[in-house]
Amino acid sequence: MRARGLAKAPDAPLATIAKINGAQKLAALDARGAALGLRPGMNLPDARAMHPALVCADADPAAEAETLAHIADWCRRFTPLAALDAPDGIMLDVSGAAHLFGGEASLQADVEARLRAQGFFARAALASTPDAAFALARYGGEREGRILPATLDAAALARRLGDLPLAALGLDPATLKALAEAGLRRVSDILMRPRAPIAARCRPELYARLDGLLGLAKTPISPRFEAPAFMAERRFLDGIVRREDIEASILSLARDLSKLLARHGEGARRLEVSLFRVDGAVMRFEAGASRPLREPGVIARLFRERFEAASKANDGEAFDAGYGFDVIRLAALEVERRDEEEADCFDIGNRQGVQASLKAADLADLIDRLGARLGVRRVTRLAFHATHAPEFAVTAAPAAQYADKGHHIKPAAMARRAAFADEAGLLPARPIRLLPRPEPIEAIAGVPDGPPLRFRWRRVLHEVAAFEGPERIAPEWWRRDESALTRDYFRAEDTEGRRFWVFREGLFVSETARPRWFMHGLFA
Amino acid sequence: MSLEHFQAKPPLRVKKMRRDEEPEAFSENAFDGKSERLAILRQKIACADEIPFPRISIGGLDRMLRGGLRGGALHEIAPGGAGDGAAACGFALALAARFTAAAPAGRSAIVWIVEDFAAIEGGAPYGPGLALHGLDPATLILVHAASAKDALWAMEEALKCRGVAAVIGEIWSLEKIYDLTAARRLALAAQSGGGSALMLAAGMAGGADRLASCAHTRFEVSAHRGGAARGSPKGSPQNAAPPPGLPLPSLACWSIRIVKARGGEGGVSIALLWDHEEGCFRDAFPLHLIADAGDRPGHPADARARPRQSA
Repeated sequence: MRARGLAKAPDAPLATIAKINGAQKLAALDARGAALGLRPGMNLPDARAMHPALVCADADPAAEAETLAHIADWCRRFTPLAALDAPDGIMLDVSGAAHLFGGEASLQADVEARLRAQGFFARAALASTPDAAFALARYGGEREGRILPATLDAAALARRLGDLPLAALGLDPATLKALAEAGLRRVSDILMRPRAPIAARCRPELYARLDGLLGLAKTPISPRFEAPAFMAERRFLDGIVRREDIEASILSLARDLSKLLARHGEGARRLEVSLFRVDGAVMRFEAGASRPLREPGVIARLFRERFEAASKANDGEAFDAGYGFDVIRLAALEVERRDEEEADCFDIGNRQGVQASLKAADLADLIDRLGARLGVRRVTRLAFHATHAPEFAVTAAPAAQYADKGHHIKPAAMARRAAFADEAGLLPARPIRLLPRPEPIEAIAGVPDGPPLRFRWRRVLHEVAAFEGPERIAPEWWRRDESALTRDYFRAEDTEGRRFWVFREGLFVSETARPRWFMHGLFA
Repeated sequence: MSLEHFQAKPPLRVKKMRRDEEPEAFSENAFDGKSERLAILRQKIACADEIPFPRISIGGLDRMLRGGLRGGALHEIAPGGAGDGAAACGFALALAARFTAAAPAGRSAIVWIVEDFAAIEGGAPYGPGLALHGLDPATLILVHAASAKDALWAMEEALKCRGVAAVIGEIWSLEKIYDLTAARRLALAAQSGGGSALMLAAGMAGGADRLASCAHTRFEVSAHRGGAARGSPKGSPQNAAPPPGLPLPSLACWSIRIVKARGGEGGVSIALLWDHEEGCFRDAFPLHLIADAGDRPGHPADARARPRQSA
C-alpha cells in the first residue's frame, strides 16, 4: 500500500480515494486509518463522518503501478526472479536463496524492514506455492504465522490454511458474495465438502486457486526479467558511493564471473550490472560483446565505457549514487560456448594463426568498447544488397553483430567490382561518398539526354571538362513507387579536377517535360 | 596496451567489508593468476616478430619523405580548397589501403571515424565506391561519432588495438579541439599500437598551414585535372558518345603538397594518380619515361642515396 506524498498532517490517517460507480470511495488506507476502523471500499462521506481528520488524495493507478514495478526491481536484490502481482503485490521466487539471508524468518524480516525504511508498509509471507504466499501475506496474521514450512503434509496444511477467509483465494467479488450467501466463508468450509457439487456451481478458478493453495497444483509466476545464466554479486554494509570503488568492485565481480564461466566452458555475450541503492532505486547498465567474453579486464573496461557514456548524457554524473549502493551485481544474460585455446598458444608452428586470432579478439573488444561508449548502432560494418538503386545498395549494420561473419559480405562487393572491371584506367563507376539525399542542381545540358555542360551546386558554378555516361538506372518496378523516375547518372569532372556523380531525373517527354538535375555523390 | 594494464597490476581490493561472504572468496586462487599470466604471455608472443612500422610508397613523394610514408605514426591531411574534401578523403583512403596491404597478417582492419556533421556536409561513406576505390569492405569498420571529442577518443582507442592497420579520423570541427596534447596522445597511441593514424581535417579547407602538432607528416590535397582516360566507354548507349572536346574522366588524381615532413622535405607539391585496380600511386606527369631506363633502380630514394655513399 502506498502512503507517501502528503506531509501536511503527519499524524492524521491517510487514504486514497477513487470514483467507483459515481461515488467517491476509499481505495487504500495507511495503517493509522485501518486502526481507526476505516476499510477500503467505504464511502468517503461515511469515513469523513467517522474521522473528520482523514486526509485524502486521489488514487493514481498508473503511478501506483510504476511504484510497484520499481519495488519489484529493487526486490531483485533478493532473487533474480521477481514478478509483479498487480495491483498491490510482488511475488519473489526465493528457492535456494533464503539461506543467503540467514534463513526464511530473517529474510522475511529483512524484506519488511528495508521496505519500511523506504516508507512502504509491507507484509511478507513465505510458502511453497505462489497462491499460499498470496493468501498468507494478506490474511496470515502475525509475522511468524506468515511462514509456511515446506515440510508440512497435506492434513497439516489443510488445518493450517483452513482458517483463512475465502477472500484469501484472490477470487472475484461476485463469486465471493455467492459463496458467502451459501454460508461458505472459510477455506475449511469448502475443503470439508465434496468437490463436485461446488465445482459445478462455481467458476473453475475456485478449485484452481484452492489446489494452488494446498500445493496440489503448481501455479507459475512470470518474472519481470529472466534469470541470468551466471551472476556474481557483492553486498556492502555501508553504501559505496565513489565511482572508482564501484568500478573496482565490478572488476572483482568480473573475476568471480569469469571463473564461473570458465568452469562451464562459456563466454558472455551480453552482460548487465545492477546497482541497488540503499534507498531502493535500482540502476541497470547493459553491455554487449561481439565474442564470448571471459576476460575480467575487458568486462570491467566495457562497463567503464558505459558509465562514461552515461555521465556524458547526464552532465558529468554517470549515476546518482545518493547514499550509496549496497548491492552490486554482475550478470551474464547471454552466454555462448567458448572452448579453451590455451593449448595451441605455445605451438611455434602455428604462431601466425595464433597471432591472427589474438588480433581478431583485440578488434572485437575494440568494437565492443566503442559500442559501449558511443552506442552500438554507431559502430558499423557495410552490408551490401543486390539492388541497382544506389541508395539501397549498401546499409550500415552494427559491427557487433557482424564481427564474426564479416567476411561473408565480401563476395557481393567484389562481384560489383568485377562488373565494372572493363573500364580500365577510368574513374571508378561509383563515388566514395554519397550525399544523405540528392541535392538539386541547376544544370545546362543538351536535350533530350545529353550530358551536363555546366552546373551550379551549393552556389558554385562548375564547368564540365570530362564526363562519362549516362548510366541509366530505372526505378525497381516491384517496389511500386509511382513517383520514382528513371535516372541517368553521369560521372562528371570539372575544370579543376573535382569529380561528381550527377543524375537527371526523368526521361524527357515520356516521363517528364522538364527533367531535373541532382547531385548525388562525390568521387575521390 | 590496455589489457596488460589491467592484468599486470595486482587485483584491486574493495576496502569495505561485505556481509555473508566466505573469507577465501576474495583471495586470488591459483587458477586466476595463471590465466592472467598466460594472457600476458600470449600478448607478448603475438607482437614478438612483427615488423614494427612498415613504410609505404606513395609514388613520387617517396623521395621527399626519405623512402616512403612511415606506419605507426600520425599523419594529417587537409583539403586544399572548399571543394576538395572528397579529394582529401580519397587520398586518406588510398593511404589506408596501402597501409593495410603493407601490414603483417591479421592486422587488416581499417577504422574510419566520421563526425556526424562531416557526413552531412560531405556525404556519407559509400560502400560500393569504397570497394572500387581499392578498399576491402570486409575490413572496414565505420564509426559515426556525434562530436569531435567522441571522434578523438574513438581514434585513440582504435589506435591502441593491435588488429587495426589504419585509423582515419574525419573530424569537421577539428580546429577548436585539436591541440598539441591531443595530437601527442594520438601519436603515442599509434606508436604503441602499431597502426597508422590519418587525421582528416575535413572542415579546415586550405588550413593545413594553421595546424600545429607533432604529426609526422602533413599533406594538403587538392583535386587535380587528370589526363584523358585510356579506356573506351563500353556498354554505354551509342547516342551518348562524348561530344568532341570532352574526354572521359581518368583515374583519381590529386595535387599533393607536403606541408610538413619530419626528416624530409616540406613545401613540395606534386600531382599523383591513384590506380585503384593495382592499389598503388602513379606520377601524374610522365616521369616514367625517365624512370624506365634500364639501369635505374626501382626506388628513386635508393637511386639518390647510393651514388653519394660511393663517392
